[in-house]
Amino acid sequence: MAIRVSSTVPGGADVVADIERRSGERVSACYQCGRCTSTCTGAFAFDYPPHRIMRMLQLGQVDEVLNSRTAQICYDCMTCSTRCPMNIDVANVIEHAKMIADERGIEGDEKEIRLFRLAFLKNVRRHGRLHEARLLTWINFRSFRPFNDLSLVPLILRRKKIHIVPPRIKNRQEVHRIFREINGGDK
Amino acid sequence: MRIGVFVCECGTNIAATVSTGKVVDAALSMRDVLHAESIQYTCSDPGQRAVIDAIQKKGLTRVVIASCSPRMHENTFRRTVGRAGLNAYMMEMVNIREHCSWIHSDIDEATDKAIDLMQKGVARVRRQVPLHSTTVPVTKRVLVVGGGVAGIQAALDIADAGLPVTLVERGPSIGGNMARLDKTFPTLDCSSCILTPRMVEAAQHENIELMVSSEVEQVRGYIGNFDVDIRRKATCVDAEKCTGCMICQEKCPGKAPDEFNAGVGQSKAISIPFPQAVPLVAALRKEHCRLFIKGKCSVCKKVCPADAIDYEQEDRIETEKFGAIVVATGYELFDWRESYPDYGGGQYPDVVTALQYERMLSASGPNGGHVQRPSDGKEPKNVVFISCVGSRDESVGRPLCCSVGCMYIAKQAILTKEHIPDSQSYVFYIDIRAGGKGYEEFTRRAQRDFGAIYLRGRVGKIYPSNGNLVVMGTDTLSAEQVEIDADLVVLATGFAAAEGAGELARKLNISYDQYEFFSESHPKLRPVETTTGGVFLAGACQGPKDIPDTVAQASASAAKVIGLLSRGELETSPMVAAVNQMRCTGCFKCRDVCPYGAIEAVELRDGREVANVIDSLCQGCGVCNVACPPAVISLKGYTDGQLIAETMELLR
Ligand SMILES: Cc1cc2nc3c(=O)[nH]c(=O)nc-3n(C[C@H](O)[C@H](O)[C@H](O)COP(=O)(O)OP(=O)(O)OC[C@H]3O[C@@H](n4cnc5c(N)ncnc54)[C@H](O)[C@@H]3O)c2cc1C
Ligand code: SF4
Ligand code: SF4
Ligand code: SF4
Ligand code: SF4
Repeated sequence: MAIRVSSTVPGGADVVADIERRSGERVSACYQCGRCTSTCTGAFAFDYPPHRIMRMLQLGQVDEVLNSRTAQICYDCMTCSTRCPMNIDVANVIEHAKMIADERGIEGDEKEIRLFRLAFLKNVRRHGRLHEARLLTWINFRSFRPFNDLSLVPLILRRKKIHIVPPRIKNRQEVHRIFREINGGDK
Repeated sequence: MRIGVFVCECGTNIAATVSTGKVVDAALSMRDVLHAESIQYTCSDPGQRAVIDAIQKKGLTRVVIASCSPRMHENTFRRTVGRAGLNAYMMEMVNIREHCSWIHSDIDEATDKAIDLMQKGVARVRRQVPLHSTTVPVTKRVLVVGGGVAGIQAALDIADAGLPVTLVERGPSIGGNMARLDKTFPTLDCSSCILTPRMVEAAQHENIELMVSSEVEQVRGYIGNFDVDIRRKATCVDAEKCTGCMICQEKCPGKAPDEFNAGVGQSKAISIPFPQAVPLVAALRKEHCRLFIKGKCSVCKKVCPADAIDYEQEDRIETEKFGAIVVATGYELFDWRESYPDYGGGQYPDVVTALQYERMLSASGPNGGHVQRPSDGKEPKNVVFISCVGSRDESVGRPLCCSVGCMYIAKQAILTKEHIPDSQSYVFYIDIRAGGKGYEEFTRRAQRDFGAIYLRGRVGKIYPSNGNLVVMGTDTLSAEQVEIDADLVVLATGFAAAEGAGELARKLNISYDQYEFFSESHPKLRPVETTTGGVFLAGACQGPKDIPDTVAQASASAAKVIGLLSRGELETSPMVAAVNQMRCTGCFKCRDVCPYGAIEAVELRDGREVANVIDSLCQGCGVCNVACPPAVISLKGYTDGQLIAETMELLR
């Protein structure tokens, strides 16, 4: 089947322009050398390796990118970014696709990964740093497996890997500000 | 005073943005302007005829042509007014294209500006006086800098036309990079078999003087008459006596890097770079010689049967006169090591450059053409080629294409199969650039007939594993990651300008780009000329190119030189400085600043010493005008009166 390129995808070019603007990266500079993919540590689990994501954005295949496994599970190791000969921060591009997918409520197939990511961000945002106990309980409840890994709890507590009381950090509002700026507004 | 104004439409280039009719009207309303018209293409034959007609019918004495850049057509229009019987310098060009229509979009504003520019031209031409050019004799000798295939070709072509040529080469032998190549694409003829005869021919040609181990020290003068200081570097060997027996090299205990073999293998402190070297004369490198480092050795002097060794030898400077200069200093390979730590940054012995591989393949190479990988001397079976290393890579500041890498990789893949029949070559590429005649077919053959596997993608990383190398890349056509176990990795490293190219350019007063490749005067119409008259370019010093293009450009340069020197004398521009000697105070600030040494002191009858401009040396740069405290030196055609009139007209 022929692919649909940006002029025929409603809003396709707009989303790409949005990604370029918000990320500050030049998607159009990619010349498909594939160096990002060559050492991508996550590609074995992706549906599209990073250079394909770049190409799909160039062609305006926005739906495919926003719904891709790649956009859900790339974990920003940034190996791609360090290798790109065109100085494109590829991970940053994928990260912005991820953010736009979240903004649009696109859940994708990797529900748990998404859940973890959102819970993690929410947790950091609220406490200023990670509060593990809360993160774990939240994830267990939201994934409808409240007793998941419960047997580990005594061990974790004994080793002081986790604290019941939320951490207190100074200048929590600074963290809030960072979140606001990255999201380009509050949500 | 009878002035005519001609406003060119340049098709729609000007007329679409400037309303030329209004410019004509504005001209006609000016004092002394007897004639004005717009012409569709003034430079065309009918256009020039219209100008001539108007001059003759209306008896015009001065002309303003409002059109394009004078760089384009000043000479054309000077000839036009000349044909009409006026002095050629009674014409002033005004640029309403590059300076106006091309850079503006608002028609009213552009038209206003065009009118201003035209009025400025009229103000200036009003104060113009007839000028007459003089001629200077030219020196019918040519300097060629750089003895690669480009320099050799240019020197032979010029010498065959009967002009004496001095070929200056920095290294101990001519031949350049081509002498290092094994076979050459796309015909696979042996590089030294086709180059060596040309090198010998150059050495034996009655009109060519070879100066190896020599460099250009300083250049003075101008087109037709350059004075060049050439440094003849001390090699501690008397070239007249040395017979090329190589006994010194055999016995010398001082090890030195083998530059000719691109660092594969080792050489000696005194050596002849390769058996076919021209001239076949040894040279000693002091920085590696035991006598110069430790103060004790002199083995070569003892063994030399010709008594050619002379440790006392010192650099000499020779000054010679030339009428034209061809620059052919070629290229070096981009040093990849610092920029590519992910390819080992030079730490893995079995990652080599294509030039090193060329020496490994060559029958005259260190292993006699048996391909052995550097780490353990094993014959490699899996050979991986990586293109565009230090090319097309903005992250290392090298966005340019090397233009030959794709071709020499295909060649080396073919040669690998010929040398090692049970080998397998893998080629990582981004695009295959094979535009020349027979080139596409050649890269196809590498794949179809010699089994090279081409993978479209870049390599991300190389790491050592169990005595081999693992190459991690991508095949973008299948959108998959690939990993290859390689015995040897060959990098197609990009082209860089020869070391010191920028410095040489400054000596020659020619321009160069950010990579220090020399700039041609016009990319299409003046591809072998530089911005300095009498200096021409040949080969890879102007930008990456292969041998056919290099040779073609060298012959083109030769043709330009021969054309230039075929005339016995050159017409000089009459737009030179002139001193009002009555008011000159004799401070000689002008002589201090003149870059061309064009100002001399003369004694007037009353005994005063004043400045005098030597017309044939003055290039009309105008620096002296600014320096002169009482403002009594000025440039003909650019007098203070003219410049002030122009400015006043604009400010009105
Ligand atoms: C690995 C490899 C394989 C190649 N294979 C092929 C092939 O198969 N076919 C093909 O067509 N092309 C091939 N090429 C390209 C080819 O090498 C060039 O096109 C050619 O050598 C350019 O010739 P040149 O005379 O311009 O420069 P060079 O060969 O670089 O010669 C320049 C000369 O000038 C001298 N010089 C430099 N600076 C100065 C100075 N300041 N003063 C005096 N002398 C100076 C240098 O010492 C040198 O001798 C290959 C290139 C590489 C890297
Ligand atoms: S950051 Fe880049 S290299 Fe790392 S997993 Fe994501 S796409 Fe792959
Ligand atoms: S490394 Fe950069 S240029 Fe190459 S394919 Fe990836 S994003 Fe595009
Ligand atoms: S010629 Fe080929 S190898 Fe060289 S930079 Fe261009 S594309 Fe890369
Ligand atoms: S600078 Fe002027 S005053 Fe001084 S010597 Fe030159 S022309 Fe004469």
